[in-house]
Amino acid sequence: MKKNTKILFAAGAAVVVIALLVVVFQMVGGNLDVVGKQSVASFDAVLQAIPDQITADDTNGGWSLLAPDGTVRFIWSKDYSKSPLHDVMLELDAKPFVDAGLDTTKLPSNYASFDGMLMVGTKLGNEEFKYSDAMTPLSSYEQIVKNYRASINYHTALDHYGVKLGDGNMFEWAKDMTKISATGKDQDKDIVFVLNPEPLIAAGVDPAKVVGWVYAQVPVEENGKTIQVYKFLKPFNIV
Amino acid sequence: MDKQILDVRGMTCAACAQRIEKIVGKLPGVGQASVNLASEKLFVEYNPDTVALNDIKKAVDKIGYEVVEKSDAQNVTIPIGGMTCAACAQRIEKVVRKLEGVESVNVNLATEKATIAYHPQTVRLSAIREAIEKIGYQVLNVTKENAADEDRARKQKQIRTLWTKFIVSAIFSLPLLYIAMAPMIKGVSLPFPAGLNPMNFPLIYALVELMMVLPVIGVGYRFYTVGFKALWQRSPNMDSLIAIGTTAAFSYSLYNVFQIAAGHFSAVDSLYFETAGVIITLILLGKSLEAVSKGRTSEAIKKLMGLAPKTAIVLQNGDEKEIPIDEVEIGDIVVVKPGSSIPVDGTVIEGHTSIDESMLTGESMPVDKKAGDMVYTASLNTTGTVRFRAEKVGSDTALAQIIKLVEDAQGSKAPIAQLADIVSGYFVPVVVAIAMIAGIAWFFGTGGDLKFALTIFISVLVIACPCALGLATPTAIMVGTGKGAENGILIKGGEALETTHKINTIVFDKTGTITEGKPTVTDVIPMGTQDADGLLRLAASAEKASEHPLGQAIVNGAQAKGLELLAVEGFQSITGQGIEATIGGQRILAGNRKLMEEKKISLASGEVDSDRLAGEGKTPMYVAVDGQLSGIVAVADVVKKSSRAAIESLHALGIEVAMITGDNRKTADAIARQVGIDRVLAEVLPQDKANEVKKLQAEGRKVAMVGDGINDAPALAQADVGIAIGSGTDVAMESADIVLMRSDLRDVPTAIDLSKRTIRNIKQNLFWAFGYNVIGIPIAAGVLHLFGGPLLNPIFAAAAMSLSSVSVLTNALRLKRFKAKTQEGKEN
Repeated sequence: MKKNTKILFAAGAAVVVIALLVVVFQMVGGNLDVVGKQSVASFDAVLQAIPDQITADDTNGGWSLLAPDGTVRFIWSKDYSKSPLHDVMLELDAKPFVDAGLDTTKLPSNYASFDGMLMVGTKLGNEEFKYSDAMTPLSSYEQIVKNYRASINYHTALDHYGVKLGDGNMFEWAKDMTKISATGKDQDKDIVFVLNPEPLIAAGVDPAKVVGWVYAQVPVEENGKTIQVYKFLKPFNIV
Repeated sequence: MDKQILDVRGMTCAACAQRIEKIVGKLPGVGQASVNLASEKLFVEYNPDTVALNDIKKAVDKIGYEVVEKSDAQNVTIPIGGMTCAACAQRIEKVVRKLEGVESVNVNLATEKATIAYHPQTVRLSAIREAIEKIGYQVLNVTKENAADEDRARKQKQIRTLWTKFIVSAIFSLPLLYIAMAPMIKGVSLPFPAGLNPMNFPLIYALVELMMVLPVIGVGYRFYTVGFKALWQRSPNMDSLIAIGTTAAFSYSLYNVFQIAAGHFSAVDSLYFETAGVIITLILLGKSLEAVSKGRTSEAIKKLMGLAPKTAIVLQNGDEKEIPIDEVEIGDIVVVKPGSSIPVDGTVIEGHTSIDESMLTGESMPVDKKAGDMVYTASLNTTGTVRFRAEKVGSDTALAQIIKLVEDAQGSKAPIAQLADIVSGYFVPVVVAIAMIAGIAWFFGTGGDLKFALTIFISVLVIACPCALGLATPTAIMVGTGKGAENGILIKGGEALETTHKINTIVFDKTGTITEGKPTVTDVIPMGTQDADGLLRLAASAEKASEHPLGQAIVNGAQAKGLELLAVEGFQSITGQGIEATIGGQRILAGNRKLMEEKKISLASGEVDSDRLAGEGKTPMYVAVDGQLSGIVAVADVVKKSSRAAIESLHALGIEVAMITGDNRKTADAIARQVGIDRVLAEVLPQDKANEVKKLQAEGRKVAMVGDGINDAPALAQADVGIAIGSGTDVAMESADIVLMRSDLRDVPTAIDLSKRTIRNIKQNLFWAFGYNVIGIPIAAGVLHLFGGPLLNPIFAAAAMSLSSVSVLTNALRLKRFKAKTQEGKEN
């Protein structure tokens, strides 16, 4: 190939590559973190689907999303400088676990027990957030995406976003509450409360005896790999 | 018909070579077109009245390959002293450019060098030098490039370019492979950047992969430019397969990048950028190794080319002057000192020395040379200074002839190679069809799994690359013929090589082949009025005008005894029988039994003696004077020391050995017993030798004929393989398929052994070349997977393809270890 032709070819190829990148950037509005960005939209869809279940939680300095059966809620903080316990956590009815053998005194430090309830979560930070618009449940979630992106993940197989609550505990919600995009099948687990069973088992819980929670193996991401682990799950189909 | 060898660039596989042959062969006026992929040459025979060479070049250019114009101009770099400014440089350029025969001149003031392209046939270098010195500048040491140096430089550059491309592609494709594979490896936790987690950051992950594969595609651009062009012209080749496969992988992956951007994150599992990148990298690796190995396969030619010295000392006006070898002309007196190589062919006129001719003939013992003896280019003068007259220069020297013969041989095709070419011509289109059918079948079979179908499609294309097929035969032929040349065995072509290995019968000419060819008089038995000396003198005088070795032996015998020969009044040679002459009014006949019987001369008185002599392996020559038997002169030719050993080696190869001679049966049988000949064809007239060979062929045998190439030309041509021994003459090279430079008969079994090993090597290469494809295609197409077996990952397919090319070349290079059994014996 003659030198001039090579140069022209290379220049043409460069133009095409740049054009492709421009198109991609435009598609994503300049934000390459498509998972983070879309998780906000999906979380908002959940909030819109069950508005009655979403309340302010002044005790914990945040917002609460209550499960339809009222036995568990996901709480996320408005201001990490003021969170009394955790910045993100689950608060759940302890009775099914106590009935299954739980000794609350043997639970690790990320667990708190109070008034027949268990609280499990994690502290993400200590900063006071600055909100450009009104402080809403969605905008508080957006702060997690913006400042603690590593706490948000996406799982292809289940087509779920999730907030990591520390120690294998999660709150997950569907990317699309109508269908699973990977398979096209119906999405029947719009929101899922996920508990790491190991500390509970270590504290005396017999998983087979826990009522109201599903004890099953699920795929989770670890170091970029998908592995199967046991979890306590409480899924709900809200739409 | 004219013959030309053209350098062709851009070929990548057998399909390319075949395409060129097809297109050029179709041109009106082209008799034959043959492409050697390994040496990148097109050998074309054409009628210049019907088609111009330029048209042939254009036809090749049109289908996407480059014919490199080889100017016969010589390039030379001349350091020039005394220049002070640009005007000096310009002046030199102007003066030199004016000389007829100078093609171009460029003077660089900064480096103080002039680079000149000139035609040595038109202008001598000394004339250029004179022109420069005449205008006041000094010419220093001249550096001349020769074809071998240029070719070496070009090959080195090609190797460097390929290695650079491979390294660049590896720098990007290895991390790309890691990024793609690390998350998938079970049981092992490999370090992986969190920001590239494909689940959490799928778009960034995809874009990083895209950015890493682009440079790889960039350095591998030739696969696409050549491959798609060939596909467009409906002659897909190896590059087409790579181009289609990697383009499919890349395009599908690019589509999925947009899918991810659109929010379909699961598309991150359908990225194949690493497949495209690694395929290109591995194929580039294979190509680099190929280029290195190809350089080694053609070492024989380069070695031969490098043997000729670059300068010669000639006598000019009584003074010794060192001049470039191209300037030596026929008739020049050349001086060669001890330790120097002979620069051109010629005849010694003064001096006495020993010349080591081993680099040409393999003969390790130096040969004594004196006035009247021939000396040859590149042989080494060991002991004394000699002066010789140049008789053959440039392309006429024995060395040049050998190089040309070996080059032509390396360009020729063995029939087995032609079969490979036919197969490769259909192979690529069939593979594309298989890939498409397999892809479509699996797409529907899996209920629309495009990802799976694409993997199958790409794997079939990549594993089926016929890269090695085009190399399988030419590499073996190159190494084999090169090895032969090193051992003084010149095999003229691939066809000769292939036929030789099938030989089951060899016919040797007796005189000069099995025997030394220097017969001497052993017995003189007078039977008439003459005494022994008188009989000998009479016979010698009659034979003086004869060119026959037996006649010459009688003359030498008489001269050795100091006998003065008589004047001959009339002379007639009777082919196959003897001579008739008139001496002092007497009618003299000298010859064999046939002559005597024809002339009705009674041999009764000589029967007992002639039988005895024949039984001793001697040739009785009857001498009759005026119709009466006057006596018998017996002549014997000593059997070569190597003859028996050579025939034993041939027997060991399972070959029947016959001897053909004009000699009488008894003599012939006696010689045959001495050396172990199986079949004797005696009393054969020279013009009937070819018929005898034909008779053997009619028995269903594959017959080789061994002779000196001059007298046996028809028989050599008739034989399935003609072997000329101990002669580097033009006639021998023309009529024979194999030329043995030495007079050692053991080179015959060596040549046959080399031929067998080369053909075996070709078959092994074809096995390696085809084997990967034949086994790999069904696996890649998912046949095993139908029964629960494994699939073939496209990356492994690419690795296998590179391995196949390397296997073929490595196997071909094994031929370099070939040693003649005589050599092995000496080493033991």
